[in-house]
Amino acid sequence: MSDRQGAARNSGERNVDPASVIAYLLAGMAVWGGLGWLADQALDFQALFLPIGVLLGLALAVYLIYVQFIRS
Amino acid sequence: MSADVRTISLAAEENCHIFGENQCGFQEVSPGIGLFFPEPWASFGLPLTSGFTKYTVLLVLSVLLVMAFWFFTTRKAKIVPGRGQSIAELLVAFIRDQVVRPGMGKAGDKYLPLMLALFTFIFVMNVMGLIPGAQLPVTSNLAYPAVLALFVYVLWNVIGIREHGFGSFVKGKVVPSGAPVWILPLLVPIEIVSNFVFRPVTHALRLFATMLAGHLLLAVFAAGGFYLFNLNAGGLLSVVSVGYSGLSLLAFLVFTGFELFIMALQAYVFVMLASVYIGEAIEGAH
Repeated sequence: MSDRQGAARNSGERNVDPASVIAYLLAGMAVWGGLGWLADQALDFQALFLPIGVLLGLALAVYLIYVQFIRS
Repeated sequence: MSADVRTISLAAEENCHIFGENQCGFQEVSPGIGLFFPEPWASFGLPLTSGFTKYTVLLVLSVLLVMAFWFFTTRKAKIVPGRGQSIAELLVAFIRDQVVRPGMGKAGDKYLPLMLALFTFIFVMNVMGLIPGAQLPVTSNLAYPAVLALFVYVLWNVIGIREHGFGSFVKGKVVPSGAPVWILPLLVPIEIVSNFVFRPVTHALRLFATMLAGHLLLAVFAAGGFYLFNLNAGGLLSVVSVGYSGLSLLAFLVFTGFELFIMALQAYVFVMLASVYIGEAIEGAH
């Protein structure tokens, strides 16, 4: 049992935290959406940079998930 | 007196049933979030504390149960195990092969006792929701999962810093490998927030939310079985109400079994994630 799992581990197959995908998506939207919201407050827009930031954060999070879990 | 007993007795006083004369609706007996805020038996008047409640009693009981289980099953370990020792050995083998080894590899074996203690502790706290008389999962109060998740969070950070040094540990956590350099300023904030903020938060919330929702579901079906039962409705309506009540109680039974499964599953998920986090900290860059 332990040998099989040791082998599986060496071949790069291991447990990843499935929730980290959701954490990435949430964090992406929160960080860049939050910065967008701050920019809106500073520049007196009602909602311009907030949606841009949310979409940017979402795209970056998807890219990050691709880099971390699919390509490697 | 606990909140669920209060709701039921209140409903019984008002004779609140479907098709009843006083025309009361289910919202008057349906259990709410008040279930999870039992009245304290002793309050010390400290700010931001809830005093000595049912949760405290059940927590102490859980600790004693887990300690007693491990003490009595491993006290006189024999080569040919008895019944208790077999269960304990089964648990050890399960946690080692399904949680510790896949998450941390052989290096994680020294964390096996910790994972075992966490698993049994969380499972017993969850199962308190099904014990008659207790009927309140300790983990349905955010404070308990939050403290456990915070403990795991501090632990994997300390392990990571000790293994790799502060600089390279944080770099491995924060800089994604395999991304071009120009995009890093955009990705690093996401990594920081997701690894150091959302990770412990989701770790605690997952256990808390499933326990809260599951217990609330059971309470709603139980209260439904009471509310829908009305022999005095007259004629066909009586039959209908008894049928409804039976369905609701049947659902209560089915979901009780399902809830037991969820309780074991969530305890497993919690330690599995803890082992993945510690494993990543031991390994360094991902």
